[in-house]
Amino acid sequence: MTMTDTDTVPAATATDVRRVKKGQFRAARGLLAPAVLFLVLLTQIPFLVTIGFSLVKWNLLYPQDRGFTGLDNYATALTSGALGPSILATVLITALSVILSVLFGLLFALLLDRPFRGRALARTLMITPFLVMPAAAALIWKYSMFDTNIGILNWVSRSLHLPVLAWSTDHPLLTVVTVLTWQFTPFMMLILLAGLQGQDKGILEAAQVDGAGTWRTFTWITLPHLRMYVEIGVLLGAVIILQVFDPIAILTKGTGGTKTLAYLLYERAFIGLDVGEAAAYGVVTVILTIIVATVALRTLFKVFMAGGSR
Amino acid sequence: MSTTATPVGSVDEAPEPSRRRGRRRLAHGAEAASHRSPAMTVAGYVGMLLVVLVVAVPLFWIVVTSLKHRQDIYVQPAQWLPDPATTNNYHDVTTRIPFLRYLRNSVIITVVLSLTKIVLGVLSAYALSLLRFPGRGVVFVVVIAALMVPNQITVISNYALVAQLGWRNTFQGIIIPLAGVAFGTFLMRNQFLSLPTEIIEAARLDGAGPLKLLWRVVLPMSWPTLVAFSLITVVNEWNEYLWPFLMSDDERTAPLPVGLTLLQNNDGVTNWGPVMAGTVLAMLPVLVLFLVLQRQMIKGLTAGAVKS
Repeated sequence: MTMTDTDTVPAATATDVRRVKKGQFRAARGLLAPAVLFLVLLTQIPFLVTIGFSLVKWNLLYPQDRGFTGLDNYATALTSGALGPSILATVLITALSVILSVLFGLLFALLLDRPFRGRALARTLMITPFLVMPAAAALIWKYSMFDTNIGILNWVSRSLHLPVLAWSTDHPLLTVVTVLTWQFTPFMMLILLAGLQGQDKGILEAAQVDGAGTWRTFTWITLPHLRMYVEIGVLLGAVIILQVFDPIAILTKGTGGTKTLAYLLYERAFIGLDVGEAAAYGVVTVILTIIVATVALRTLFKVFMAGGSR
Repeated sequence: MSTTATPVGSVDEAPEPSRRRGRRRLAHGAEAASHRSPAMTVAGYVGMLLVVLVVAVPLFWIVVTSLKHRQDIYVQPAQWLPDPATTNNYHDVTTRIPFLRYLRNSVIITVVLSLTKIVLGVLSAYALSLLRFPGRGVVFVVVIAALMVPNQITVISNYALVAQLGWRNTFQGIIIPLAGVAFGTFLMRNQFLSLPTEIIEAARLDGAGPLKLLWRVVLPMSWPTLVAFSLITVVNEWNEYLWPFLMSDDERTAPLPVGLTLLQNNDGVTNWGPVMAGTVLAMLPVLVLFLVLQRQMIKGLTAGAVKS
């Protein structure tokens, strides 16, 4: 929804504008063009170089043996058997973390949007996990929360006479998702809070005056208004979590069904030192991401928002 | 729903149990907007409290660990409070590595990168949403595609490029490859497109040029999103690790996160106290920034020109 059909919006206005301010607009384009150009260059050069690398046989262990191999790297990547489980791990981890952090983020954003005693403190606390360095966050979870002997989770289990678990080996997927959700909930909250703050208060008051209850105001006015922000949050969150590396490297090292595409890629490039193959995995990842982002998310939102819009 | 910046004392959940399912029309719209039943309020507080616990325990643990003596860190059952507390770890961090150098590098990198990204993001989002030029759709798709390239892979190609330019251990080597801003372009473009067209139209007909339109009308109306974008950008740059780690060998250009890993590796075994103290110190500047910005964020749409 957000990607294509928006092009038509300014089209109607363009004729007036052209009539009124032709010269100024030309000047503005002169100013904006460098920004857009710079952006395209910075974001595209690495990607194009990556595509180039993916067509080259290039293992850093054998620097002499380097040359064009066509699609060989892709053949290796697709037939090695590592790709399938990796896609599954990526999809599971990304989907679970994104869904959980959007739900929690929405909840907190709604709670924090209302004035209450201690709100400033609560908001500051809620945002802090996002401010902690990702590697430090993963470390603290690994050693003080999940650790079998000295971790707090097991301390709680023991106190409640529940079985003690070695979290990161017994439930690797769960530990990764927990840490990611902890970290990304503030991110979602921030975007959704911006959406809530941008809501027209007059409409809310009008709805209340017309006798709409809290729940109906929420589902009929706030949720449709937030739709765009939820979409943005999900899309950006998914894209970022898809590439997440630190928590996996620190918590599980890709064991137990947590070897995501990003981690696999890292393994091929920095442990296997096979630049060509890693690049091929990278290109496959990009293609998969684009497919997921365009197809799956749209379907999801149609289902999710079917009842909400007027 | 009021937009008071400091909620202290401005509690508004006045319980009104006599109201029949809120159907009665009220003379004061504002009062009605803030109505919520006592049960919901209590549920809200309880939920909030639980969540605050989950969020707070790891944070609490970082701070507590940073104040513990080394032998107290690995004990069972876990010690909830440092006994006795010590500031040795903080002393360690600031003396064992050139902390101020790393801090300076972090500030330089974060300020330059964030400013570049915010300006670039806003300008390109503005161009891609409210101005017309040929190939606009293509440019947008191309920028969005860049979001989806895993940075583990761009790191490889960027490294090859930057090393060839001889830019290792320079600030431009660290900064320029990170300056591409797909995230902000996307976020701000969607924000701009959500603005009511009538207002923008009206401003245009009133003779506002494109830049004046951006500065006077579009940006003030997009304030909360812009602040969110800025905050996310600053935090990400502040915590950026992989790329600066590959680009810089020592304290000439390396930022704090890279410097802090040196603490961990100094003596073979991980020494948690200083690492956690470093994490706390590294987090403080962004925390202060957030405290300053959060007032801006909830200022909401107060800046004029909004009523349609």
